[in-house]
Amino acid sequence: MRANKGGIAGVGSFLAKAWKRYSFIFVFAIILLVYAFTIQANGNTFKWGHITAILASQNTVIVGTMALGMALVIITGQIDLSVGSALVLCSGVTIMVFNITNSILLTLLAAVAAGAICGLINGVLAGYAKMPPFIVTLGTMLIYRSLTLSVVREIDPAITGSSSSQFAMLSSNSAYDVLRMKFGTGSLAGVSIPYITFVFVAVMLIILLISRRTKYGKSVYATGSNEKAAFLAGVNVQWVKVSVFVVTGILVGLASFIQACKIGNVTPASSGKSYEMYAIAAVVLGGVSMSGGRGNLLGVFFGALSYTTINFIIVSIPALTTDIQDTFQGLVLIAVILVQTVGPVIKDRFVEMKKRRLSRRQERSELAADKG
Amino acid sequence: MAILEMQHISKAFGGVIALSDVHLQVEAGEIHALLGENGAGKSTLMNILTGVIPMDSGEIRFEGKSYQTPSITQMERAGIAFVHQEVNVVNDLTVFENIFLNRELKTKIGLLDRKRMIEEASVLFERLGVDIDPTAMVSELKTSQKQLLEISRALHADAKLLILDEPTTALSTQEVEHLFTILRKLKSQGNSFIFISHKMPEIFEIADRYTVFRNGKFVSQGNIADTTPHQIASDMVGEQYLDKDYYEKRPLGEPIVSLRHLSGHGFSDVTLDIRKGEIVAFTGLAGSGASEVMQTMFGVMPFEGGSIRVGNQTLRGAIPHFMKHGMAMLPSNRKENSVVPDVDILDNTCIAEHSISLKKPVISTRRELERYEALKKLLWIKAESPKDSILSLSGGNQQKVFLARWLNTDADVLLLDNPTQGVDVGAKAEIYRLILEFASRGMTVIINTLEIPEIKKVSDRCVVFFEGRVVKIFDHDEINEHDVMLYSTNAINTRRGANHAG
Repeated sequence: MRANKGGIAGVGSFLAKAWKRYSFIFVFAIILLVYAFTIQANGNTFKWGHITAILASQNTVIVGTMALGMALVIITGQIDLSVGSALVLCSGVTIMVFNITNSILLTLLAAVAAGAICGLINGVLAGYAKMPPFIVTLGTMLIYRSLTLSVVREIDPAITGSSSSQFAMLSSNSAYDVLRMKFGTGSLAGVSIPYITFVFVAVMLIILLISRRTKYGKSVYATGSNEKAAFLAGVNVQWVKVSVFVVTGILVGLASFIQACKIGNVTPASSGKSYEMYAIAAVVLGGVSMSGGRGNLLGVFFGALSYTTINFIIVSIPALTTDIQDTFQGLVLIAVILVQTVGPVIKDRFVEMKKRRLSRRQERSELAADKG
Repeated sequence: MAILEMQHISKAFGGVIALSDVHLQVEAGEIHALLGENGAGKSTLMNILTGVIPMDSGEIRFEGKSYQTPSITQMERAGIAFVHQEVNVVNDLTVFENIFLNRELKTKIGLLDRKRMIEEASVLFERLGVDIDPTAMVSELKTSQKQLLEISRALHADAKLLILDEPTTALSTQEVEHLFTILRKLKSQGNSFIFISHKMPEIFEIADRYTVFRNGKFVSQGNIADTTPHQIASDMVGEQYLDKDYYEKRPLGEPIVSLRHLSGHGFSDVTLDIRKGEIVAFTGLAGSGASEVMQTMFGVMPFEGGSIRVGNQTLRGAIPHFMKHGMAMLPSNRKENSVVPDVDILDNTCIAEHSISLKKPVISTRRELERYEALKKLLWIKAESPKDSILSLSGGNQQKVFLARWLNTDADVLLLDNPTQGVDVGAKAEIYRLILEFASRGMTVIINTLEIPEIKKVSDRCVVFFEGRVVKIFDHDEINEHDVMLYSTNAINTRRGANHAG
């Protein structure tokens, strides 16, 4: 009898542990289930195509890549609000370099370098000059976008690739076909998963390995968890704080390259708007603590998938007009976070209450025994 | 006539007895020194008196009125004010706003009456002989002025008995004199004070009577005029018998650490030679500079003059530089300076080693686990899995993990800043046994601690600091609590102390 009970409790505690460590997978599974139901309710059947659509979405691949960097920044206890604007700036650089050089390698290098510089500026101001990262990146968020906006009008259309206020890849370049038609919009035959999704997964795995299997990764967590203790253990916390911004910048550069390949153009006035917020949402949905020190990069991958799926659900409900969609997006986000963060707190309260009631009962019975 | 009588006060926290049947009697218009080592029960008694915590049994009589379970506001209204060690004023308000905080004067239509408040504050300061502008921002005041402001505020609220908890720690000699002048003036006006301090010269300068506690028990009371610093030091320390003595003389190696005229934040002109395999204890009261010297020897803060030599290298720079040359430091205040709460025990153990082996950036988990297991065995760490949270361990076991963190760096010199703080008695003994073992294997250990019995247990030499300078170095055989206390309170240099010591 007792052993049996222990067995059930064992499964329960295993599930509880799994929920605690991998809550982001459960969250994604539940959201996916809801999506499947809405599809069915609309009279369609839920197919593999719906899942590949999630995997191919801008919100998964582009925002997801940036969210990996954002997660590192948040784990060190900082924030980067400039990623959306930096994406536009990098895209501009990427497309112009492509139009001039017609070289895939140079284009990729330029994208990454532009991102790294954007990140370095954030990092130096926040990490070395010790200004609050929220304010620094709020400032650079304004700067990066407005610089791109003002530059696009001044440059020869032969370089920007477009006569209107945008950057566009020149289809007359010989590498255009490989980059855009084959890589950017193509997908692996058979499973029909886009190539760019594989790039995202590969990047995620690299960042995951860095965070878990390198001394640098450990120092990122330590800095966010207890900066003073990390400093006293010889961690160069300033450098760590700067470096996560640079890594984020590199990932933003990479994202801009992928975006250019996928879409072929970028409009500085509107592209990448609010992407910093989407990236933060993906990070939080992935179970990373906003107060730093804690979070699994694998979670960010699932967080990005969850965020995309939430968008798909909202769009697929015909009753919701475009105007009200953001409201629902916000509500769902708050609800998920509520379950993730407030859930354990409520559980702790409940356990404590139970304990207190038990001790009070014990006291009372002891008192009664004394009197007796 | 006694203004305050506390009789038969007892208090236990869980199973730990903090106070057992203690007495305290303060006369009207006197300065009464309340003395005892850390943990003697002074703060507990003061917290009971001010209504912060309830007593288990006993009686409090203040101005003839008896209080059984006083609340904080009740005791405030009765006229008891606690001036805390860390000054408790609102920096972003002006001086007069602080004095009238929660008791603001208002005009007929309910607006604040600034004019009248400023006037009253000026009158108050004049009466006390305090030179502070009532309209100044508190953030612009010096620490000593803030302290006087806090005292003024208490007196403005009609406090009759003021508790001063180590009021002079942050003050210069001149400022102390000024404070004492004001205290004497207030005393003559009929105010009473309970004066908590570790500095013997001060007590003999300002106090009228004293009470000594030791380990939660009442030891003695009397007139300051009838006693000596020696007598009080003995009363505070008592005849303590040491537990089993592990110490034995070991052959020492070559000099490994030498400080030459080292000056920095909070200390100056420290010259010291430490030999390989030696255990040296630093001791001194808060503000003595012992901890600062230690931190400077690890690159936590820069130094202004002199030099630090380790082996045959002159060191200067940041922490990793010192670590690469064989230094390691277990900082004080474990929770704030050592615990990395969000990562597991293994990562907490390896973090310091990582920062000196960055040339190999990738972690070998298998190797780290092997080293962890070896350290766990060596230090008797009681932990289930290296993947558990560091917070799941007891204080003593956490501290052992942090010892492991530093042993893992293969350091030659281990600096331990107050290593047994917040550690239970059993773990304490183990930590000291380990220190002796490390030293016998050739490691050099420097411990900064206030616990003199522990110094006697382990150290080859004891360096006593007072106000940033080395005042005395004892050899192992010369170390005794009484003398160390005399030097660390500087009682040896007060006239009376010197007479008796001579």
